[in-house]
Amino acid sequence: MSEPKIKPEIMRMSWGPQHPMSGQTRVLLDVDGEKVHKIIADLGFTHRGIEKILENRTLLGGIIPVDRMAMVDSANISIGYVTAADKAYGLEVPERANWIRSLVCEMSRINSHLYAFGLQAEATGYFPAVFLWTTVDREILLDLFEELTGARWSFNFFLPGGVHKDLPEGFKENVIKGVQYLRRRFKDYWAAIVENYMFEIRCNNVAILEPKDALRLGATGPSLRGSGIDIDMRKDEPYAAYGDLDWEVITEDACDVMARTKVRFHEIGQSLNMMEQIAKEIPEGPIKVRFSPFMRAPEGEYYTRVETGRGELGIHMFTDGTTNPCRVKINPPSLRNMYVFERLAELNEMTVADIPVVINSIDPWYLDSDR
Amino acid sequence: MSKNNINDFISSVQKTLAEEIESVEQTNDNYVSMVVKPDSFVKVAEMLRDKFGYVIPVAAGGVDYPDENRMQMIYYLVNPKTRFTLTYRVNVSRDDPRLPTLTTVWDGMSFHEREAYEMFGIDFEGHENLVPLLLPPTWKGGYPLRKDFKGEGVE
Amino acid sequence: MVNTLTTMRTLSMVNLGLTVADIPALILEFLTLNSKPIMQVLLMPGLAFILGFAIIAVWFERKFLARAMLRVGPYYCGGRSGVLQVFADFIKLFLKEMIFPDSVDWFFFALMPVMLSTIPSLALVLIPFDANWVLWDIGGLSLPMFLAIMGIAPLMAIFAGWSSNNKYSFIGAWRVAYMYISGEIPIIICSAAVAIMAGSFNLVKIVEAQSNGWFFIPQFLGFIIFFLGVLIQAERTPFDIPVAEVELVFGWRTEFSGILFGFTMMAEYVMFQAWTLLFITLYLGGYGGPILFGNIVGSHIFWLLAKFVVLIVFIILLRTVFPRPKIEQMIKFGWNYLTPLALLNLFIVLGLKLWGIY
Repeated sequence: MSEPKIKPEIMRMSWGPQHPMSGQTRVLLDVDGEKVHKIIADLGFTHRGIEKILENRTLLGGIIPVDRMAMVDSANISIGYVTAADKAYGLEVPERANWIRSLVCEMSRINSHLYAFGLQAEATGYFPAVFLWTTVDREILLDLFEELTGARWSFNFFLPGGVHKDLPEGFKENVIKGVQYLRRRFKDYWAAIVENYMFEIRCNNVAILEPKDALRLGATGPSLRGSGIDIDMRKDEPYAAYGDLDWEVITEDACDVMARTKVRFHEIGQSLNMMEQIAKEIPEGPIKVRFSPFMRAPEGEYYTRVETGRGELGIHMFTDGTTNPCRVKINPPSLRNMYVFERLAELNEMTVADIPVVINSIDPWYLDSDR
Repeated sequence: MSKNNINDFISSVQKTLAEEIESVEQTNDNYVSMVVKPDSFVKVAEMLRDKFGYVIPVAAGGVDYPDENRMQMIYYLVNPKTRFTLTYRVNVSRDDPRLPTLTTVWDGMSFHEREAYEMFGIDFEGHENLVPLLLPPTWKGGYPLRKDFKGEGVE
Repeated sequence: MVNTLTTMRTLSMVNLGLTVADIPALILEFLTLNSKPIMQVLLMPGLAFILGFAIIAVWFERKFLARAMLRVGPYYCGGRSGVLQVFADFIKLFLKEMIFPDSVDWFFFALMPVMLSTIPSLALVLIPFDANWVLWDIGGLSLPMFLAIMGIAPLMAIFAGWSSNNKYSFIGAWRVAYMYISGEIPIIICSAAVAIMAGSFNLVKIVEAQSNGWFFIPQFLGFIIFFLGVLIQAERTPFDIPVAEVELVFGWRTEFSGILFGFTMMAEYVMFQAWTLLFITLYLGGYGGPILFGNIVGSHIFWLLAKFVVLIVFIILLRTVFPRPKIEQMIKFGWNYLTPLALLNLFIVLGLKLWGIY
């Protein structure tokens, strides 16, 4: 991108892509000493043209590139695409398959929120200990994924019209065991880290995003719910089995970094409850309907919205009667949140030290925003 | 939940905006598609925000129809009260794609319009910072998401 | 003084035409006559102690923090304990290319890391390991001299950051300056309180004044403030603000590579060591402790080292449990709490002294 001109007393810093905390993006900071006046996000370092790739693949083959959009949250991303494909093919998903989909999605959401929480702790200056603790706890989920789908990451488990495999023997008991372990761990995290005084002074009243600004700038996911607005696609437009599960939308009214962190934390609790409920109450029945991989989708357009760990993901699929979709528009949550991040410097006083904390409270996933 | 909301919205739009729009319809049960005439593009957008409460900008992107020599620019909007998605569309000519920007109406459309600018070559007049978002600054290969893109890369 | 004169006489005898066969005897004579200063320079407060501490502390910190993070830490170099890892890293740093970016100020960029690791180690010569085991015994000037030498170190960090000509280094350098003004002043006020209570600026006298009771009991406030000041001055977590890696890549050290980076790392540990030893000397009875096996000097050195090890482990443990405050919160903390409380501590000490309780 071309860089706009700056005043002589302002120093422009390039924060990333070679920075310990930036990830695969670059953020230009206009700073005066420690104060940040302006943030300019420079995205596109991981642009792979997934929307174009999808045009050249069959609907079924498209699951694989879509799955790569956010490794840490791949189930929630791919369920958006698969639900759109269900609609395009006109397939009725069996109830048991829906429940399994919800189970995998919730596990994936915990995985994603755990990662975000670990990074948040590291950004406030914890020596990486907390990040590694969350990484170890993630193993529980990864083992469950492996048992169910055969892969620890990027399991292309969902198919149009169902899921690949049924729950293996003894899987429900393992889920309940894992849920109990994670609940114990999260109680510890809450006491040791979230209520730590030093963590609080770093997170309270930092980067306040008022509800009206959150709506105006298009924030989504925990960033929006941290501002007290209860928009969650799982409630607003229930897909998979979310209509049948008992859970509630988490909101926090403080609007700051801490509120977003707490939303993630409580959402993990809700997800654990859902996992337990699914393991106990999952109905019997078939797990997929038969369909041919080279089936032609009738001409039309299908829009689905799902709630990923980072917010609302929209997949708009245009089909023209061939095996391939003729255009797939992906509305990623991280791109919306990155714009919010860019504008936060105008709404708040921010210092250089706040930047990693704020960007991780927004929790962007650059592979997702760049596609 | 949103059936009634959708029907209410469609009927009120048909009543008040009959002159300005080309069509409004409910497409596959959870969203509304609304095609507007290019002349009243910004005016209807402002009405949608102020009168119908569509304050959340979700995304925007284009679709290319080379056979009909047009491109369609789609804005995805959500009303926090009714919660269903409205796709607000306008057709532009493929030869001279030019639209007034909607960042004046919805602030959050900035990134999405920049993306449509680099991917489809749609020129948004009045956009404050219309530079490529995802493609590298040295990109000379045309507009990647148009149907006639052949795959040329960076020079 | 006597030793020096003897040495000079011995050396002049060489010029007077002694044969080659006498040289071993002369060296032996030189060593026996000067054994104490040589031991002091090479072993105890000197080179071996500083280098040995840096090596052991780095190894311990890595291994210990790895446990806290549920890892094993260095594993392959030197068996499961990974003791040789530090040596391997040191050799690697020596052999690596030193990168001098185009726009750095060469003179300061090359000089400052070296100065940073040598000048704070000069302060170590003032620390008494026993009443008769002080390398540079300057009597009543020792405490002010120590503070003066340690006061130069942050300036060199600022020069190093500035000469790197990097935006992150620049911000890091100014953070060092802010840390300095918020941490140094409480430390100096607390040192003054200790000196008043002991009735002397002489570190040996301060230690001996504590033979009836360590100063951390009457001056508990000063004890806490000085401890925080040590963390601030030595840039230890949670006050490692100038090198905060998630914010400023590596702060004022960003541009250093090869052995220059090694020197900055070394400097961190030397500062840490010097401040901790002063802290023990002022508040925790210095070298004082029961005499073991009738060896007075040996047991004094042992007690000082034992206290030192306990403190080091405690300070390293702090690193796992605290996030880092922001620089403005740090300055606020220094000026709103540390400095007034240090003054309060000073007045308490004056009161105790006036009413003759101490």
